[in-house]
Amino acid sequence: MAAIAEDVLVEARPGGQSRWAALALVAPALLVLAHFAKALDLYGNDLAFTVEIVALSTLLIALIAIAIAGYLTLGEHPRAVALLRWLYRWPLFIPFVVAGQIMRTFLAKNGMLNHVLIGTGLIEPISAQSMLDWRGIVIAFVWKQAPFVTLLLAGAMASLERQHIEAARNLGAPRLRVLVDIVLPQVRGTLLVGLVLSFVTMLSVLSVPLMINPNSPTMITVDVAYRINTFADYAVANALCLLSLLLAAFGAAFYLRHAVRRVEAP
Amino acid sequence: MKVRSLLSIAALGLASIAPAAAQTTLNVVSAGDQNMVDYVNNYLGPKFEQMNPGVKVRAVGTGPGDSGSQKIYEKLEAQQKAGSATWDIDVAVVHQRGAATMVNDKLLMPYRNDIAAGKLVSRDTAKNALGANVDGYVLPMFHSQIAFAYNPDLVKAPPKSFAELAEWVKKNPKQFGYNGVKGGMSGVGFVMGWVEANSGLRDKLEKGPYDPGAKATIDKSLASLKDFNQYVVMTPGNAGTLDMLNRGEIAMGPVWVDMFYTWMADGKMNPKVKLELPAPGLPGQPMYYVIPAKAANAAMAKKFIDFAESPEVQADGIVKQFNWYPGIDPQYVQSKMTPTAWNKLFTDISPSDLASKGRPFPLSDYFTDIVEGYERVVLK
Repeated sequence: MAAIAEDVLVEARPGGQSRWAALALVAPALLVLAHFAKALDLYGNDLAFTVEIVALSTLLIALIAIAIAGYLTLGEHPRAVALLRWLYRWPLFIPFVVAGQIMRTFLAKNGMLNHVLIGTGLIEPISAQSMLDWRGIVIAFVWKQAPFVTLLLAGAMASLERQHIEAARNLGAPRLRVLVDIVLPQVRGTLLVGLVLSFVTMLSVLSVPLMINPNSPTMITVDVAYRINTFADYAVANALCLLSLLLAAFGAAFYLRHAVRRVEAP
Repeated sequence: MKVRSLLSIAALGLASIAPAAAQTTLNVVSAGDQNMVDYVNNYLGPKFEQMNPGVKVRAVGTGPGDSGSQKIYEKLEAQQKAGSATWDIDVAVVHQRGAATMVNDKLLMPYRNDIAAGKLVSRDTAKNALGANVDGYVLPMFHSQIAFAYNPDLVKAPPKSFAELAEWVKKNPKQFGYNGVKGGMSGVGFVMGWVEANSGLRDKLEKGPYDPGAKATIDKSLASLKDFNQYVVMTPGNAGTLDMLNRGEIAMGPVWVDMFYTWMADGKMNPKVKLELPAPGLPGQPMYYVIPAKAANAAMAKKFIDFAESPEVQADGIVKQFNWYPGIDPQYVQSKMTPTAWNKLFTDISPSDLASKGRPFPLSDYFTDIVEGYERVVLK
């Protein structure tokens, strides 16, 4: 836009209409920036909050997925392995909005979590707190997405050659060492794919923050919905969506760099 | 958005062609919580269908708050721009802001003088919607009111004004809860009440004229609200506040009077909880019956609204069943109810209290300034 405007300006006759034409070309770009300015002014905090929450959730998902998939691959009690394999997949089939509702009753001050903690004597009734804030969002995200990444990871680990693992175990390596040094490097790619997919998915979720976190700051998706519903302010809503897209693109860039590196590796 | 509206118009159009020619379908679209849709589906609709054989009343909800009215506005605007000969909404129930915008954009048909019930309303809200002149285009369906609900077991001496409330929350942190501006209108109403109490601009905010320079004073009063928020709990919505009150997680919070009494009747609310109106007041709002300018069944729509605004229906449906204050003038409704039933509405809040502390919402432009100011000042 600016380049076109420049060209027109350079060729403009002194005091001619081309200058106005150039201005007309550039003006829409200026308007667009004003909306971004407003979006960042009002919702800059929420953007930072969104990044922090999703990044934290992704990290926790990675740790949990590695732990579960690792145990499924290296575990030595067949019953425990079978039970875990059956158990971990259940949250996969639950939509985010249902997960949000579950967490609303589970994490409330009078919710099931606190009842269990109080009942087992782990906390005093007076110190029961409601987890319905950023912690609730993270818990809902991790609970819902970890099985997905675990599924991918367990599949990748199962397709590795057992010889490497067995060789290391024969040499006396503890299982954690085997996991970190032998297994993980080989399934890095799959882990990255799963995490990027989770990252992008969690960025787009409206139901969970809307239902669980009435506080401020909140996630960008809630602000987009609020802008549209209360003010019909599509301009700022679009600006927020573009910023969200930028964040998602950041995650996608990670994946692309890795994929390209693998293709180019000798 | 427009494509979606056009697609939904097409879908509704196809759907309304389907039934037999002898039957007219009256499409009623209502903004507001689910209880509004239930009211038409479970009460108004069946009664009207009985009185008018061959008519089927179909109610659809567009969601609570101004966003629900916004959706109706967008649909009508899309049909107007597309130049459709008839529009597929016959009766709409909208908030004041939505009605003001629709009258401004010439989306509505004047009907008040064409029906008998039009003479039963003399209140200012029938002519003035937050500063916009809507005379003739609307009839109030009901008048609702926001009030503080409190648990007398936990709150021995409830604060009687906003100033007392600010002191009370410091001594009783996390015992007061409200739903902010994004969670529903009871929270928005609380913020309006706070600004009216703390800015000294009450008359200007309610009656105008609109002065953009007032933003600075509004922002200043919101700064004290930011401080206040540290001692309170944010709840997820209108129902969220009621829910937490019921479970004892908070001791006090702003609620809609009608939702409060309905929950109590359903057994979802602790029967000990009481209501009060703090000084200088909390807002309430009517919702309006409107008829789109090119409604397909305009004559039937007028009959429907006349029926809904008749004193019997107002007494039985609006007041007795749903615990709203009536849309038409109270004296016409009172004669249709037993004294006990009538007084139930005024147990905790007396009629004089309501008259002095039941405020209208501020003018549309001030409303926007306050809500945006909240985002700018309190949420950042």
